[in-house]
Amino acid sequence: MTRRVRTTKGLAKRMDLQYFTHSHPLRRWKMYLSVAVPVIAVVWFFSQRATGQKVYSSGPVSASHAFFGKKCELCHVTEHGVFRKEVSDKACLACHDAPAHHPTLVTFTPTCGSCHVEHRSSLRLAHTMDAGCAQCHTDLKVKTGEVKFARDIEGFDRHHPEFAALRPDATDPGTVKLNHYVHLQPNLAGPKGHNDPVQMTCQDCHRPASDNRPWPYAKQIQACPTETGAPTPALQTVSATMAETPRDVSSRAYMQPIKFANQCAGCHMRDLQFDKRFNESVPHCKTDVVQAFLVKKYTEYIAAHPSAMSEPLTPNRVALSSLVQLPAPPKTREEWIKWQVANADRLLFDKGCKLCHTMVQGEGPIPTVAKSAIPVRWLQHADFDHDAHRMVKCASCHARAPQSRKTSDILLPGIASCRGCHQQGGAMHDAADGRCSECHQYHEWQNEQVPRKDFTIPQLRSSAAGL
Amino acid sequence: MSSEGIAAKPVPQSITLTIDGKPVTVPLGTTIFDAARMNGIPVPTLCHQQNENPVGVCRVCVVDVGARVYAASCIRQAEAGMVVKTNTEPLEGVRRTLLELLMADHPSPCARQQHSGDCELEKLAAAAHIEHPPFPRRTTPRGHDDSSLAIAVDHEACILCDRCIRGCDYIRNNWVLARRGKGYQAGIAFDLNEPMGDSTCVSCGECMVSCPTGALTNRGVVGTKLEGDLVDPEFLLDLPVFKNVSGNFLELNRNAVVERHFRAGDIICREGDFGATAFYILDGTVDIFISSPMAHVKTEDSSTGLLNKLRSFLAPRDRHQRNGDPSRNSIPIDAPIDLPYDKRVAQLHAGELFGEMTCMSYYPRSATVRAATDVRVLEMLRNVLDIMQRNKSFREQLDRTYKQRALESHLKSVPVLASLTPEFIEHLKSRVELIRYLPGQMICAQGEPADSFYLVRLGFVKVSESRPGGDLVLAYLARGSYFGEIAFLGNTTRTATCTALDHVEVVRIPGDDFRRMLDEFPEVRHKLEEVAADRVAANQQRLTQIESVPVDQFLNQGLMEAQSLLVLDLDRCTRCDQCVRACADAHDGVSRLIREGLRFDKYLVATSCRSCRDPLCMVGCPVGSIRRRNSLEIIIEDWCIGCGQCANNCPYGNINMHPFPVEMADPEHPGRMIASTRLKATGCDLCTDHAEPSCVYACPHDAAHRVNPPQFFASMLKQPTPAKGGV
Amino acid sequence: MVAAVAYIPYRHSSPQGASGGSVMGLIYGSFGFAFMIFAGLLGARKKVPVWRLGRAQTWMRGHLWLGTIAFPLILLHAGFHFGFGLSRVLMWCFVVVFVSGIFGAGLQHFMPRLTTERIPMETIYEQIGRVRSQLVDEAAFLVEQARAMLTGNLSDASAEQRAVAAGAGTMGGVTVATGLNVDEQASSDLQEFFDRKMRPFLQQAGARRLELADRATSQAMFRQLRLLLPMNLHTTVDDLENICEEKRELDQQTTYHRILHGWLLVHIPFSYAVLLLGAIHAVVALRY
Repeated sequence: MTRRVRTTKGLAKRMDLQYFTHSHPLRRWKMYLSVAVPVIAVVWFFSQRATGQKVYSSGPVSASHAFFGKKCELCHVTEHGVFRKEVSDKACLACHDAPAHHPTLVTFTPTCGSCHVEHRSSLRLAHTMDAGCAQCHTDLKVKTGEVKFARDIEGFDRHHPEFAALRPDATDPGTVKLNHYVHLQPNLAGPKGHNDPVQMTCQDCHRPASDNRPWPYAKQIQACPTETGAPTPALQTVSATMAETPRDVSSRAYMQPIKFANQCAGCHMRDLQFDKRFNESVPHCKTDVVQAFLVKKYTEYIAAHPSAMSEPLTPNRVALSSLVQLPAPPKTREEWIKWQVANADRLLFDKGCKLCHTMVQGEGPIPTVAKSAIPVRWLQHADFDHDAHRMVKCASCHARAPQSRKTSDILLPGIASCRGCHQQGGAMHDAADGRCSECHQYHEWQNEQVPRKDFTIPQLRSSAAGL
Repeated sequence: MSSEGIAAKPVPQSITLTIDGKPVTVPLGTTIFDAARMNGIPVPTLCHQQNENPVGVCRVCVVDVGARVYAASCIRQAEAGMVVKTNTEPLEGVRRTLLELLMADHPSPCARQQHSGDCELEKLAAAAHIEHPPFPRRTTPRGHDDSSLAIAVDHEACILCDRCIRGCDYIRNNWVLARRGKGYQAGIAFDLNEPMGDSTCVSCGECMVSCPTGALTNRGVVGTKLEGDLVDPEFLLDLPVFKNVSGNFLELNRNAVVERHFRAGDIICREGDFGATAFYILDGTVDIFISSPMAHVKTEDSSTGLLNKLRSFLAPRDRHQRNGDPSRNSIPIDAPIDLPYDKRVAQLHAGELFGEMTCMSYYPRSATVRAATDVRVLEMLRNVLDIMQRNKSFREQLDRTYKQRALESHLKSVPVLASLTPEFIEHLKSRVELIRYLPGQMICAQGEPADSFYLVRLGFVKVSESRPGGDLVLAYLARGSYFGEIAFLGNTTRTATCTALDHVEVVRIPGDDFRRMLDEFPEVRHKLEEVAADRVAANQQRLTQIESVPVDQFLNQGLMEAQSLLVLDLDRCTRCDQCVRACADAHDGVSRLIREGLRFDKYLVATSCRSCRDPLCMVGCPVGSIRRRNSLEIIIEDWCIGCGQCANNCPYGNINMHPFPVEMADPEHPGRMIASTRLKATGCDLCTDHAEPSCVYACPHDAAHRVNPPQFFASMLKQPTPAKGGV
Repeated sequence: MVAAVAYIPYRHSSPQGASGGSVMGLIYGSFGFAFMIFAGLLGARKKVPVWRLGRAQTWMRGHLWLGTIAFPLILLHAGFHFGFGLSRVLMWCFVVVFVSGIFGAGLQHFMPRLTTERIPMETIYEQIGRVRSQLVDEAAFLVEQARAMLTGNLSDASAEQRAVAAGAGTMGGVTVATGLNVDEQASSDLQEFFDRKMRPFLQQAGARRLELADRATSQAMFRQLRLLLPMNLHTTVDDLENICEEKRELDQQTTYHRILHGWLLVHIPFSYAVLLLGAIHAVVALRY
């Protein structure tokens, strides 16, 4: 066995008492590295800074601003004092115009940056997050007066109210009567009459403007004189008649407005026939035009067929119903024309036109047709693009349409139908994007000004050193 | 025959006899040897020495007087008409045989023969041409006795001639030596056959001078050569302190004492140096002082090193007061007088002796001595000092000096006596005795009636109490300390045993005397009773804190001796050295702990003061700077002179010497200060100035603990957990 | 408890593209940075261990807890984006610091116990060089004594060996060859063993490739040595073997100690870098 003995004193005597004051590789390296690494970091930082300010950036700029991404000072302007170089709205407004949102009502105007977050790489800047809208709309206060709309809208899923058009007691303001149910039945009498049964579909009448296939139930009809007297084309594009036109809305977004010539004339010209003797219909125009046409027609007829004077007066069915006694035979041609016209009026104004239109009592003896007032665009404050939904069956959203019998039915899909696919969480929840910015515009683009156009390319492109 | 015969008849004044054919006339009563010697006729002797009464034991001096047997001429008185033949052939033969017999057992060449060539036996043997004694050597050894400092005893060489006995008894009247035993066991003995050094022998040297062989020879102190002028023994004998010392002895010890001259300002000895000599001032005055600056060996009692250094730089403190301590107002040193704390310098004059403890027990010098005027000193080695100390006249002088100079301050330092009036003290002074004790000798025993009060003048006294598990050392008392004050109360027994550790000298005040005097001072008596009661209570309390000792593996590492251990939990310790750094930070940059030592279970027992129950470190401090307060910790006061005794004594290496930078007077340019370093002892003081020891405080992993071993390790030792405070 | 507090704000403020600049982000960032500064102060605290500023243990616990919480706080502050340029570098540095800290904390959990168990003859790491040279001296002395014995030069041999020699019947300085086993060959073999194998091993720190570094090989070699030398020198051989064992343990201790402390070489410099860059980042971010 070993004789080496370990005693406390022996062990202690081996040690140099001041050992902990001497340097040692571990401690030395700790110190070297503790100096070296931060120095390297700072040197790196300043070297990066020398080659451009990218080092400060907290993320890449968005794709749309990347082309002047090197020129930080275009956005980060020195405004207050020397130190802060935050982005001010003025910088954004140098290129963009951003018409104010309800300028008279808002209690404060958020900065551009509070909704449009840069340095997040290739997000679309315009697609702001709901929080930006929510900063006012979760507890809406207006400068003057009462809040007319929902006070607490946080997002799409829960708090967004039903569409304004679908208020509980709202009705379709259109005066043109239409029974969708009937029209969607099979074996309808087609343009050629009862021998030509047709099954109508939604697209036969409702198409976006970009769809330029021929209307199946269109008929070339006589144009009505416009106020200016110039003829209007039968097929019209959308934008000219849209109220509150949204920006860059494609012609695929909205359905074309319904025109008699495009969607109705093919079958319903027959309803404008007024007299068996004439195999034509009155023009589909205002009642005075129709009246003038009737008078002209009968005048020409009696001139050509004076023997008609002696034929007995046969009121049509409609006139019969309001007839008290048979009329006396007309003595003059004028009387005969007058009576014939009145007869035709009864047929038309009480039946033919009335089939679709609402007749109102006008100033003169003949009624006028109420303005059709068919809303061309139901959602005034949101953008809807049918083209993005083209894969969906019409009736899947417009569920009430096939069963709708009343004109007053509003066949616009409610918010619940939208929520079937669109949720606030959007792609994160495997749903369609339900952010505010998906449908709504913040800026009132109708007030858009022309932006400033005086940047030169070198101003935008050259990289500056240091801010 | 002779004495009776002489008394009966009327005696003529001188007689005539014939020696070797030569008539000689001698006074009546003269022995034949003297008669022959007076007339130029040499007779060989061994046991006879002229200044001693003859005993006639060796028979070498036998002469033929014409009678049937030969007569021992040293003792036989001459008679008128005697015909004496001193050198006949038969006589030669007889003497030769005697010498052969003696030489057979003689370890030739014996010590005397080697050193000085004058062993009388061997000389005679050589003259008789005895080279190889025909007799066999004795088989049983007779032994050596080396216990005396001055004289070496070699019983092998002893021829039982009785000279030493006669010299010690009749010439010097010391009555130490005597015969012992019979036959082959016969020999000389000191006192009751004790070793010479332990006996009452006063080292006068008479026996050695008388001894014809190498049985008693002079011992030189090996390896020490003194510089200085050799002193004439005659001169020494004139000094009162060397009165009654054998001149021969001093002659033989010429090299052991020298006279030295110092000019004013010379340094005679320096504190902390090791030495083997004592100094006796012949004339002149010396300054004795401690030159180590009072600093640097204390726990900082404020929290930071840097600030404290600033503060001490701007407003230095000249006295370090610890909390709860009565201030020490004197520093005990190895001289007739103690140094006052505030002004650490004193003066010694002619006739005073300093350096006793260094010389006798090899302690380091306790102070620096510098000549104030031109001085003459005697520097002596231990054997000469021993002679002086046992010399009665020196003792008296010592007594006087002590009583004059130191006794009063020593008495005053005893709290119970502090309030005494000067008259009382004067009275006391006359009643004190100076008593010396030898190493290991018991001064008073536990359980004995307490009858005296003791002050320690020189040396170390161990105060211990015997307990079931062993002895517990309560204290080591150094110069200036006192014990036994319980005696003042009367009718009490000693609560502890006091033993002398080395050469101890105490001042003893008999209790009876004291008590009688107390009758005149009742308030002192009252105070005494209080103090004594406190003492007893304190002792008792200390004892109850220590449980009965389980004897087991603890003893291997000496852990049971410890009252406080610094243990590092090795399962948590990341060896980061924070404890060591913190300790160094709190203690002038010198760490008081070393992170090395033996392990016990999963703990490392760090090398740091263990507050042992028997603090060996405290033994031998020449200036009493290492001491234990009422609480556990051992502290080293700031007047430590750096001799290193405590560091050597500590069996665990817990005390280390460390150089500290100091400013001191430049020896070459008086009046200027230079930077220098002094060694000072450093040890752990349990950081009592802080709430918790710095090392424990600074450990980030809760791995360092200061523990009481029996409690801490109780579960590990599988002993029932000791209850705190009760026994 | 603190972690719970940190989680509730997390639920409230889903990072809605809200970057570090938003209010919540700033709060997170400030707290995170504050915790990091406190964590960094541990190093400073260790420099003044005696100042009564709170126990070292408290500081260490605080360092661990606050440092751990700083990590999620900073993650929340950044909205889990790693950013670009400065922010990215800073974030990565912080991750390095955090991971190395967790790693180190884990090491400190079991390495001390491992060291204690495996290295009975442990000593102070910084003094290993000194102890090693003392071992060399001790071994050399033992070899010298043994050789003295083997060559019959008793005056240089140890007291023990001289006793053995005396027992074998020598007197004075005279050897009796048969009793004492004087063996010149063994003596030179021993010296060669020492010079070639043992001394290089003892002198070199971490001599892993040398033969004696492996315990089994060492045992075999010493067994050989015992065959070579007489019985009375076997205790010396035991001593030499023990010295080699101690050297092996010291090498092992060096390795363990380096592992236990090596991670600091990463943790500390990078934490300085984090603090520095973090300060720059705070200034820069608030500026823009």
